[in-house]
Amino acid sequence: MGSNPAMKTPKDAAIAGYGVYIPRYRLPSEEVARIWRGGEEAPLIKKAVAALDEDITTMAVEAARRALKMAEVKELGAIFVGTETKPYAVKPTSTIVAQALAQHKVLASDLEFACKAGTEALQLILALIGSGMIESGLAIGVDTAQGRPGDDLEFTAASAAAAYILSKRDGDSIAVVEGASSYVSDTTDFWRRAGQPYPRHLSRFTGEPAYFHHIQSAVKNLFAEFGYKPSDFKYAVFHQPNPRFPVEVALRLGFNLEQIKPGLLNPYVGNPYAANSLLGLAAVLDEAHVNDLILLCSFGSGAGSDALSIRVLDGVEVKRRKAQNKVMDMLKAAVDIDYATYAKLRGKIVG
Amino acid sequence: MARVIISSVGYTRVGDHWDKSILDLAVEAARKALKPYPNIRPEVIIVGNMFSSQSSKQEHLGALLASALNLTGTPAFKVEAACASGGVAFNVAYSKVRSGEVSSALVVGVEKMRDLDVSEASLALSMAESAEYTQFMGASFLSLNGMLARLYMETYNVSRSELSAFPAIAHTNAATAEHAQFRKAISVEDVSRSPLVSDPLRLLDCAPLGDGAAALLLTSEEFNGDDESMVEVLSSKISTDIFSIYERDDMLRFNATKDAASKAFSEAGISVEDVDVLEVHDAFSVSAALSVEAMGFSKEGEGAKDAARGLYALKGRYPALTFGGLKGRGHPVGATGLYQIAELWLQLKGRGNVNQVEGCRIGVAQNIGGVDTTSVVSVLARR
Amino acid sequence: MAISYWRRRDRYYRLLGNRCTQCNSEYYPPAYLCRRCGSESLVDVEMPTTGQILTYTILREVMSGFEGQQPIVIGIVQLDNGVKVLGQIVDTPLDALKIGCRVRLVFRKIRDESNVGQIYYGYKFTALC
Ligand SMILES: [Zn+2]
Repeated sequence: MGSNPAMKTPKDAAIAGYGVYIPRYRLPSEEVARIWRGGEEAPLIKKAVAALDEDITTMAVEAARRALKMAEVKELGAIFVGTETKPYAVKPTSTIVAQALAQHKVLASDLEFACKAGTEALQLILALIGSGMIESGLAIGVDTAQGRPGDDLEFTAASAAAAYILSKRDGDSIAVVEGASSYVSDTTDFWRRAGQPYPRHLSRFTGEPAYFHHIQSAVKNLFAEFGYKPSDFKYAVFHQPNPRFPVEVALRLGFNLEQIKPGLLNPYVGNPYAANSLLGLAAVLDEAHVNDLILLCSFGSGAGSDALSIRVLDGVEVKRRKAQNKVMDMLKAAVDIDYATYAKLRGKIVG
Repeated sequence: MARVIISSVGYTRVGDHWDKSILDLAVEAARKALKPYPNIRPEVIIVGNMFSSQSSKQEHLGALLASALNLTGTPAFKVEAACASGGVAFNVAYSKVRSGEVSSALVVGVEKMRDLDVSEASLALSMAESAEYTQFMGASFLSLNGMLARLYMETYNVSRSELSAFPAIAHTNAATAEHAQFRKAISVEDVSRSPLVSDPLRLLDCAPLGDGAAALLLTSEEFNGDDESMVEVLSSKISTDIFSIYERDDMLRFNATKDAASKAFSEAGISVEDVDVLEVHDAFSVSAALSVEAMGFSKEGEGAKDAARGLYALKGRYPALTFGGLKGRGHPVGATGLYQIAELWLQLKGRGNVNQVEGCRIGVAQNIGGVDTTSVVSVLARR
Repeated sequence: MAISYWRRRDRYYRLLGNRCTQCNSEYYPPAYLCRRCGSESLVDVEMPTTGQILTYTILREVMSGFEGQQPIVIGIVQLDNGVKVLGQIVDTPLDALKIGCRVRLVFRKIRDESNVGQIYYGYKFTALC
């Protein structure tokens, strides 16, 4: 694997703005445990729950509007929405986002790769800008993840959106992707068949052969190809399906807790699938300084990981002042709900 | 110009007519109105109705009714202006007789509401408002009046019990009205304690859903050799306002009613003080209050307070809702404007029984569509 | 519904009203003729996204098509340009609602035809109080 040439990320394409949307409601995992486990001790998570009238489209639009405002970009050339919880099986969400943003001269598509469709969207936009096909583009990772009632997934499967505007690099750019390495294999650890409302998974198998193998492979390749070592990075953001995995994988790869803590949102948000690692990146960008290096590594079941090294640029301070909602603000605005409210909001009560 | 006389009236009781179709109801009311004058063949038939297409999947009510009454050949058509459909149908019939175009007209208001369940009826009623910008957002007609009630109470410091006065008056009168949907008195406290439906409006602030039909035979003077006193239509005026309340500068002004009333009173040669009996559009407690204010019976912000002071009770200065109004008699939408006229006819003829307003000579009916988007004000007199 | 919605999607998605080119009066819903000066010359313009609650109600029985959403809060909001707009107010505890509350525009589902038909999106408001 290491003998393959490294991905050549364009140096003249950069993050010009980002925006996140985390719905207001939180379901504490104790509530799931109360209903399904007889109150057994639960992981300390509060997962973000979208309101009755929210779906990936509404959250994508909210996040995209914030990103656009920060980026101050007028025209987009492409919009990619990475998600696995499309409300329409056939009919793009990206066109609804385009209409809401009044952007029509765009290449638009929805991408699906379980939890890693967001970082894919980001890389595709980078490539389009780098190739000169477009000047600016929008990448969104968004999901309203659902776990079958009573399943382990129900503790964490959450809702959120993260949007990134990428553009030709200039003095106001926030960050640039220095290097990228992706790694995939046919590993069916988690899946959802067409027409089914809830995913299935192979429980413990989602760990070692799936999450750990793919993340470790992608990150090790990235290090080998670009000569990085863990201490080069101020921050590291790993896909975080639960509070344990990202800590474990970070330690295995030689990172320390200080590096991952700022981007570790799982205890406060849960796992919003395609928005997961991009949300962590946004939290890091909310506090990063010029020249900081950030490792971002997603994981999507099925399976694969995208590892990206991201360098913070001069524009970060100025642009941050234009940001409407920091990740921390959205975490603070949270309101806890009980299981009954959650069931109503997420359509689990069918009248 | 011909003088226009209301020769006779006919109506069904308002309520749940499970066994009667929209045509059954219209025919029943029409035949009662036609019965006293078997020799009069109306020269035009006008039907007031709002949503037969929704409730009965039936349009073309004019010809449908004409045919059922064996009156084929007679021009017949439906008039629609939301909840003001009945009042506007009356206005059209009145104008035709008044102008001399016809010397007799049958006007029938009818609505079949109970074939719809509550959420469907709510949707049908919301068609009085903008489909694109009000209904689309989930704002039912009830919710608009809920917002209006909150603004009214806040702006004029109106208390809950003051707001409850009109419904209480309506039910007091409905208790002894044979054709009323709810022949049951309720207290101000009953209204104030009823379940919230669209805050601050409570269930008993709102007119019920009910089926019904009312009909009038209008004639020019020469037909009426009756030895009883005649009921003449002195005027009937329609006005309209900016369509949605949120598009208006002042949401608490019923401009259409104000305009229609001022024109109708002026043409009839009367002033507010001349009015002996009053039928206002009390679809909601708040709409009754804003209506009496717009017509000048109460000062701005004083409508509900005046009702609480007794001004609009049967024995008050301006007896209103004398057979229960929309709240107590019922509000079969397209028929409502004609029930109001029929009730004034009963009063002016002295046939009000226990609900009689003694010695009344001048009656006023006000019927609105939407939140006072269309308003019809008519003035009747005993001759 | 699907087509009448499509026709107005820019209105619903972006609160796109219009402005009189003669006297600068702004309208939402867009006016056909300027109500202030009678001008026929109006151009589309996005409305501001913040304002305050003028009045509101909590509707406990919803219309056909909105089943399962009750109770819904409906308000009339005065935007910062003075234009009044009707819309739902979401994500706000019922006991926190007040006349005068600041609100911000949000993008939400208005109706969802039971997993089979179309989803209708549009603006709502969320209270900042
Ligand atoms: Zn103008």
